[in-house]
Amino acid sequence: MQLLIEQILNGLAMGSIYAIITLGLALVYGVMRILHVAHASVYTFGAYAGVFIFQATGSLALAFLGSMLLCAILGVLIERLVYFPLLKFPPYVPLIASIAVMLTIEELCRLIAGPQILTFSAKLPFPDLDVAGVHLSSTLIAIYVITAAILLLLWYLINRTELGLAMRATSQDMAIAGAQGINSHYIVSLTFVIGSAIAAIGGILVGIYYNQVYPTMGAVPAYKTLALIVVGGMGSVAGAVIAALMLGLAETLLIGYLNVPFPRDALAFVAMIGVLVWRSEGLLGSR
Amino acid sequence: MKRLGTLLIPMALVAGTALSAQTVKIGAMAPLTGFAAADGASVKNSLKLAVDHINASGGVLGKKVEVVLYDDHADPKEATALARKLIEQDNIKAFVAGSYSMPSRAVAPLFNEEKIPMVAAYAVHPDVTSGGTYSYSFRNGFLGTVEGKAAAYTCVKLLKGKNIAVLTSDNDFGKTLAAGFKTFMESPAGQGAKVISYQTYPMSEKDYKPYLSKIKSANPDVIFSGGYYFQSGPMVKQAREMGITAQFVGEEGADSPEFVQIAGPASEGFVIVTNLNRDDSRPVVKTFLKEYADQFKISPDMVGASAYDAFMIICDGIKRANSLDGSAIQKAIASVQNYNGLTGMIKGFNKGEVVKDVQVQVVKNGQFHYKGVVNDPSLITP
Repeated sequence: MQLLIEQILNGLAMGSIYAIITLGLALVYGVMRILHVAHASVYTFGAYAGVFIFQATGSLALAFLGSMLLCAILGVLIERLVYFPLLKFPPYVPLIASIAVMLTIEELCRLIAGPQILTFSAKLPFPDLDVAGVHLSSTLIAIYVITAAILLLLWYLINRTELGLAMRATSQDMAIAGAQGINSHYIVSLTFVIGSAIAAIGGILVGIYYNQVYPTMGAVPAYKTLALIVVGGMGSVAGAVIAALMLGLAETLLIGYLNVPFPRDALAFVAMIGVLVWRSEGLLGSR
Repeated sequence: MKRLGTLLIPMALVAGTALSAQTVKIGAMAPLTGFAAADGASVKNSLKLAVDHINASGGVLGKKVEVVLYDDHADPKEATALARKLIEQDNIKAFVAGSYSMPSRAVAPLFNEEKIPMVAAYAVHPDVTSGGTYSYSFRNGFLGTVEGKAAAYTCVKLLKGKNIAVLTSDNDFGKTLAAGFKTFMESPAGQGAKVISYQTYPMSEKDYKPYLSKIKSANPDVIFSGGYYFQSGPMVKQAREMGITAQFVGEEGADSPEFVQIAGPASEGFVIVTNLNRDDSRPVVKTFLKEYADQFKISPDMVGASAYDAFMIICDGIKRANSLDGSAIQKAIASVQNYNGLTGMIKGFNKGEVVKDVQVQVVKNGQFHYKGVVNDPSLITP
């Protein structure tokens, strides 16, 4: 029983990390209908920015804020310089461009910071807890708390503010939203700002959690998050979050209880195929 | 989506640039980019030291030596194409396989067909030499099964483990290590101890908590981690965070200063089986450790040391063959005896496999130090 609880807690942490990284992808797909593969490299960039700022200043708060700012700028640059001019082409054109952007950023990180794994030995200010014989390390607690805070803020922003209303309108129909007086290009850029800043948090969190920052850290998230937004329902933020948490749990329980040589990374794609066959709109998708 | 585009970054560590016809070219491959780039950097640095050393002492056959080093991304597809280039365009006389098992396995038959001797630095898979089938292939590092057996010996005999958990990477490297580990445990020497948990994880794994939770409930006294430093490092760190106190034993994959950095204080007391003894008093070791640290501002690891040896074994072979003919060099390397290598005294090659002692090192104050040695011939003879 204790083992089961521990495994569920492990799985929730994994799922939370997937959720943070997937959020930006789901937001961008929602407003722009572009598969923003390069989002994974924004996350990598965020981890690097975080580790460098932390090493320079020794302040974790500055590392988070600075990295979020830099990632937001990077996100907007990708949107303005790459995606926006390509919107008039079929969707595979921006997708190919996105892959190119991802490889470019990944290789730039390697050229600038070197191929070695950098360590991010910061301590997140959370306590260790022992509840009924189950040990909860401070990193696990940090991940739960930060993920919950991000999700709450985002939910409030999208559902309870005028800005959120404008975002939802733009996501439903960019042209009509524009006709209603919404500056839809501004809203698109803002989506990139939000998504990329969250990716920065994800990058730093993962960097500290595993004590590793390296150029290819976005490789697995790049394809796993794609599967997650398909499972969640293309463009559905809530769907993507639920899919991410479910995947984290499923992967962990698979490892914990079935000792079959089934690669954990394949699970997301089995789920994706299943969704495409039986419920092509995804868990919470429409249409 | 790991690698959609492939970049060719040819790099030549040119010692005597001017007169390339007057130099002896030795080919090499290493993963200079991609997930294994840190290992590639170790190989590149060590080869540079090796070339400097050999040329400072007059080169081979009165000529300077030049290394042609290519980046194979640790990818077999990339490696086969580059092998063709080394053979046909660069006209190399011998080859240092400074990469992982997959690419090294892929190129072994190509160089053997062309009668170009190759020495694998640290790849562990049996197919790199195929048990002597590839007579031009040699291995300076340990065969994975030898290292696995030595690791099991360390767990059972040196550390007196009774209940052992095995957690290895699900690739060529981890699987051959686990096979060797199992062989020892099933032999008479392994009786009295047992493997109570056996798990594998995918290459890209970062989160070891699900595996460790399972291990924790089985309560072993020793955990064998068969993986690379970027796997064993976070694993040990996460295990200590979870309150697991069992002794960890790793192998050469964790032989890197980066292991200590990633695991942090949790690395203290971590034991590995490897080929580089940091406390070795022989001048070849002392010089290398010092020059490497001075020149590259980082501690060397077994990957780099093994590449240095692979290159030097080739040069030694050329000198003793007194010829650049592939089959003459092959015979010279195959007949080497008591070679004073950086990674230990090489007793000789048995069907292409090196015979030398396995070193046991332990992390003390953030540095690898001597813990013991495995020299039982029944364990270290491939």
